[in-house]
Order: sequence, then structure tokens, then C-alpha cells
Amino acid sequence: MLLLYALLGTIFGFILSRSGAADYNYIQGMFLFERFQLYGIIATAVVLTAPGLWLIKRVGRTATGRRLEVELKPLHRGSIAGGLLFGVGWSIAGMCPGPIFVNIGEGKIYALAALAGALVGAGVFGAIYARIQGLFRLPPLALGTREG
Amino acid sequence: MPLILTHMPPIHWALAGAGIAAVTLCLLLFANRRLGISSGFEDVCSLAVTLPYFRRGSVRSGRQWRLPFVAGLIAGGFLSAVFSGGWAPTWDLGMLDQTLALGHAGKLAWMFVGGLFIGFGTRLAGGCTSGHGIFGLSNFELSSLVTTISFLAGGIVTTQLLYRVVFHWQG
Repeated sequence: MLLLYALLGTIFGFILSRSGAADYNYIQGMFLFERFQLYGIIATAVVLTAPGLWLIKRVGRTATGRRLEVELKPLHRGSIAGGLLFGVGWSIAGMCPGPIFVNIGEGKIYALAALAGALVGAGVFGAIYARIQGLFRLPPLALGTREG
Repeated sequence: MPLILTHMPPIHWALAGAGIAAVTLCLLLFANRRLGISSGFEDVCSLAVTLPYFRRGSVRSGRQWRLPFVAGLIAGGFLSAVFSGGWAPTWDLGMLDQTLALGHAGKLAWMFVGGLFIGFGTRLAGGCTSGHGIFGLSNFELSSLVTTISFLAGGIVTTQLLYRVVFHWQG
């Protein structure tokens, strides 16, 4: 399975690299409404994933026969606040989380600093989770904001 | 406009979107996992930090697939560079070089600050472009719609302010 995860990640990374999703100029072009590329990528991915997802959920089993588990993400104040903060970071760095790793692989040295910042940011979030839980109405710590 | 890495135009958006959909569906069909990359930051943290938040069951379970997946992302970027004329370290930052022209230390600081927002924001919202924007929207989840609108709004406002107001960018 380890190889499967690594292979899927490699394909995903290659696509992000060659599509503009891991390119500073294309990210700014998206936010400036000067380039359709990124909107087209996300829209196509959603339009094609949705029916496939519906079908897999309808069957209810994975390819190896295990019962399908799709955990839903909860809605809370952090959905808006976290989204806004992430958007600011996406604009500044010109990378979202996947492309941070892709850009490191491509040899863009500054992406290492983006990763360092992201690790510190996630680390601080984990460290103060219990303290900001009430403010943002977050789920219990054992559950967290879920994987994603 | 050519890509910073390859100096060639990108692949068509429809092809890229179809490829991303295929990877997302394969991950669910073969591994029973919902796509999501920002938790990878927590996975890496969990290797070094022993706080209760990083010892949750979902982190210990999720990192078993997400860490190799994230290693694959790095490999994918590396291979992309190799197949486009060779891998070489670069500081090239495209439009930012034409406007702000930061030195190396400045670029590292700029990116570190951006990373802070990305790491904290994605974990507060419970996901990023992949987990909310692609998987969550495809699964018709309300929290994903709210988060996606929020991060697009945050990005649009920040870039418009930076490039149109501060940098006076002439596209």
C-alpha cells in the first residue's frame, strides 16, 4: 500500500507541477481574474469527482471489499476564519499545501521556507487548540477539525 | 504565459482536472481515504511534537498513507523538473521578482510568513484546496463550500491589494 500512496502522490505532484497549480504567476493570475487556468482545473476536478464519488458511495465498498468510510467535515466558525487566513497565505506564498511540497521537489528553494512556516503554523494551532476551541466552536480535541 | 519551472505553457486545465479527479477517486476506491493534504503538516509535526493534539488516533492512522503521499508530491515535482530539461535549484519567483525584487533572505521571510497563514488557517478550517475544494465540494459538504468561498475570498482580496494597490501591477 505504501507504494500505491507514493505513486498516487507522484502522479498528483506531476500534474500540479505541469498545470500551473504550483506556479506563483498562475496563482496570482487566478486571484487577479487574469487567468482562468486554476478555476478550470478545480471546476473540472469537482465535476468529474462528484459522480465518481456518488457511484463509489452507492456501492459502499472499496476495491478490496472493505466498507467505505467517508468522514464528513464539521461546519464551525473556524471554517470561515481558517479559510480566510489560508487564503491570505495562499496569495502571499503563491502555493497551497500540495504545491508547497511540489515546489520543493521542483527545486524552488524558497518553498522550504513556506513549508517551515506551515509546520510552525500547524504546530501552534495544535498547541493552542484547547484554548481557541470555545472561540471558534471547534469539535472536541480527540476529533479535531478532521483530516483534509 | 509559460510556467516558471519549464518555460513552457501548462497542460490544458481540463486534462489537469481529469487527472486530479482520477487520483482522488483511486485514493478512495483502493485505499478508503479521502484526499486531503494540509493534515500532512500535522503528520510531520507528530513525528517531533508530543502534544496531545498530535497523538490523536486520526493523526497516527492518517500519517501512514499521507506521509508517503506527500513524499510522492515531492517526487512528482522533481520528476517534472527532470523531464523538462533537468533539475536545478532556483530562486525564480516570476511576478514577485518583477515587482518587489526581494533578495534571498527576503524571499525566505516572505514565504515563511505565507506558510504560517497556510499552516494555521488550513488546520483551523479543517482542510485546504484538496480536502475542502476538491473532495469536500465533490461530496456536497456545506463546511467545504463555506471554507472554499472563504479561502478564495481571502486570496482574491490579498492579491488584489498587493498587486493592484501596493505594487501598481500592469498586467
